[in-house]
Amino acid sequence: MTRQAKPRRRTELGLIVLVVLLTLGAYILASLGRTASLPAHVGPFLAIILGLLLVAHLALRLWAPDADSILLPIAGLLNGLGYVFIARLDHRLAGLQATWTALGIAAFTVTLLVFRQARDLERYRYTLAFVGVGLLLLPLTPGLGRNINGARLWIRFGGITFQPGEMAKLALAVFFASYLVDKRELLARPTWRLGPFFLPDPKHLGPIVVAWGASLVVLFSENDLGTSFLFFSLFIVMLWVATGRGAYLAVGGFLFVAGAGLAYKTFAHARSRIVVWINPWAHAQTTGYQVIQGLFALGSGGVAGTGLGLGSPTRIPEVATDFIFAAIGEELGLLGTAAIILAFVLLVGTGLRIAIRAEREFDKLLATGLTFTLGLQAFIIMAGVTRLTPLTGITLPFISYGGSSLVANYILLALLLRVSAGSREARPQ
Amino acid sequence: MNPQIRRVGLALLVLFLALFVQLNYLQVVDAHKLANDPRNSRVATRDFAKPRGDIVSSDGKVLAHSVSSNDLYKRLRTYPTGPLFAQVVGYFSYTYGSDGVEKQYDGQLTGRSAPLQLPNLRNLLVQQDRSETVTLTLSTKIQFVAAAALGTRRGAVVALVPSTGAILAMWSYPSFDPGALTGHDFKAVKKAWDANQADPTRPMLARAFRDRFFPGSTFKLIDTAAVYDHQPDLATKPYPVLGALPLPNTNGLSLANFGGEKCGGVLPELLRISCNTGFAQVGLDLGAANLSAEATAFGFDQRPPLDLPGPAISNFPPAAAFARDLPGLAKSAIGQQDVAASPLEMALVAAGLANGGVIMRPHVLQDVRDAEGKVVNTYQPQPWLTATSPATANQVKALMIQVVQAGTGTAAQISGVQVAGKTGTAQTGNNTVHTWFVALAPADAPKVAVAVLVEDQPASNDFTGGQVAAPIAKQVLQAALSG
Repeated sequence: MTRQAKPRRRTELGLIVLVVLLTLGAYILASLGRTASLPAHVGPFLAIILGLLLVAHLALRLWAPDADSILLPIAGLLNGLGYVFIARLDHRLAGLQATWTALGIAAFTVTLLVFRQARDLERYRYTLAFVGVGLLLLPLTPGLGRNINGARLWIRFGGITFQPGEMAKLALAVFFASYLVDKRELLARPTWRLGPFFLPDPKHLGPIVVAWGASLVVLFSENDLGTSFLFFSLFIVMLWVATGRGAYLAVGGFLFVAGAGLAYKTFAHARSRIVVWINPWAHAQTTGYQVIQGLFALGSGGVAGTGLGLGSPTRIPEVATDFIFAAIGEELGLLGTAAIILAFVLLVGTGLRIAIRAEREFDKLLATGLTFTLGLQAFIIMAGVTRLTPLTGITLPFISYGGSSLVANYILLALLLRVSAGSREARPQ
Repeated sequence: MNPQIRRVGLALLVLFLALFVQLNYLQVVDAHKLANDPRNSRVATRDFAKPRGDIVSSDGKVLAHSVSSNDLYKRLRTYPTGPLFAQVVGYFSYTYGSDGVEKQYDGQLTGRSAPLQLPNLRNLLVQQDRSETVTLTLSTKIQFVAAAALGTRRGAVVALVPSTGAILAMWSYPSFDPGALTGHDFKAVKKAWDANQADPTRPMLARAFRDRFFPGSTFKLIDTAAVYDHQPDLATKPYPVLGALPLPNTNGLSLANFGGEKCGGVLPELLRISCNTGFAQVGLDLGAANLSAEATAFGFDQRPPLDLPGPAISNFPPAAAFARDLPGLAKSAIGQQDVAASPLEMALVAAGLANGGVIMRPHVLQDVRDAEGKVVNTYQPQPWLTATSPATANQVKALMIQVVQAGTGTAAQISGVQVAGKTGTAQTGNNTVHTWFVALAPADAPKVAVAVLVEDQPASNDFTGGQVAAPIAKQVLQAALSG
């Protein structure tokens, strides 16, 4: 293999330059809109975003030269736009988000460096299963866990809060992929019957059901409905993709309805989310306040938005994390929100194309699982903010403020790129 | 696995499409409704950021002015005269709404009530500033004299033109800084507001027109008018010289004169020296029906049509309340018991007597001007009440001249100007007195009527209406007459 610039990396570099220019423009406009003055430190800002993306680009050139060319620029664009909004909403968080972005890029680079082939991950499948469940348990540890807004999803050490669920998501996706690939033949062959459903030998289903069940119990006890739903869906979808048996989807659908019904009956937290979803206006000053403020922001933005820095999205509680999509909707309008949706469609499309073109089954299933969590997570929070579904607090990947989310998603991106670099079409002819 | 992966892609695509449809609903179909929902605080911000005209005094001083600010709210409301006009001009606060002229004339200040100009090319290209300037009848000169004369004593001063009802000065102490409530640092605004609310002296209470006090002996003007209107023969009836008047149906309770003095005589003499025993008996002689009707005719028991939010209703009990309470009628005749009057009301009583018995509608608006300075609306004076006949008014006025020339109100004399007035020293029940002076001048063709109230003065012979309030009224009259 000759050391020459690959066409994909050239495309990527061009796109990165475009993304940096877009982000810089948005950053300047937001400052002009808010204070009618140019932002301080434009130079350092430019150097940092360009530098960070170039580091990731160089890592790809070195360790995955044949990887896909548009994933990194799209992630960079979402990350950059998210940063512009965070800086505009809460200056204190902006510095932290910049640090977390740097850590995310570092994690991205290390992932590419350590895992030269996606199958390297398979070796750690049970370790990852334990790590995943263990991470989820951490917030329940006395002295370590922190309650924020009624949910116990954070741990705190050395002044930094961290949401381990984000990392657990990756660990469990890898575990599910490697386990399911091993047992897919067995799991596709039903041996016993439960009501209308034919199910495989419980012996083969055991470990995965335990890992999944444990994570759901933990998340429920932490009041984290969004992540519970994400894990649940991830598991069902991966099971179905691996086996091709529609019965899993049917059982999953049934379990979801039953679980949701149980949650509605037993958890006040879950019930209030559904009540607010049905009619937020009846609770405008209490539980419905946040959703309504989000709707006001979206409506006030209209088609073209108020312009960067010219709206007043700070009226929305938690606007830098869960509700950042509403802030984008207010200041960039439908054009901005549609662009964000399009970016996620591109990410998902690219991720699944990587899965389809991957040769090894593990690679396929891993890429599908990773892409699905990314896409579904983005959908869950955007749909919650727009009242398409009940709201469950979860970060909007790459855009929301949140260190653990950013680092985890950059690792996810590195894994997808690693899979794409090993695929048939990427190999030198 | 590939068919399943494709279907996963399709499913996610459907979800994102649903999201896009929902966004179209929120940001296109329903956008206008959401953007203008009254619960959407952006609506208030937008209104708050609109151009807002100045508020100007009659002598051309700017009392309220908007300067541009580099933030969301675009404009910052400032009050160059600080507390001096706070209780009239009010405030325009994002957090606490508005009050005073800022509230009353909001439509004019924002231009919402301005007639739509014929559109010309320039108007099509630039957003037209339709905000209007509101000019008040109040003069900074007279307001300042009133504030300086009252000093740091709690109380109020109201001065107005009897023939038009135009208010020249309306001050009460303590006052507050409206600028502190209109800033965009909402924490500081809340702090200022909370401090004002917690202050036991209640600086945000416009005592001049929103609070009520025992009018004390100033109410004897209404007794006197009632005599001429209802029972003129009482004007010549001699009342015995007494130190205390035994009260009917009380088994020996009596009503004493101020400082234990003995007094009596005919009506002009009773008013000149403010004889309590005499006027208590006059009240009993007139009867509850006549006295209550006269008080109502002078503006008690109804809201003064002042063009400011929330003027207080002064109180005189209905005649039926005295059916079994003759002692109460005697006390009410000297402005005690349940009688309560705002300083504005007592100024209106003087203004009615000065204006041949007709009380004009009190007002602070002089005119409204458009952005180019052209007057678009001028306040047209209108009568409010016909309190009494011109003859009665002139007779009472003649007696008030004696009060200032040779009675309790000599401290209000102005050389070269004949002043007519009446003192008041009302017991508060807390071993203090509210001291009053109401006056009009010049007596032959009155140009100004005033009411002065100084609250909670020590109950002693050195702190009467004639000694405390009359000198303040004199200064305010001088300032109003010289201008």
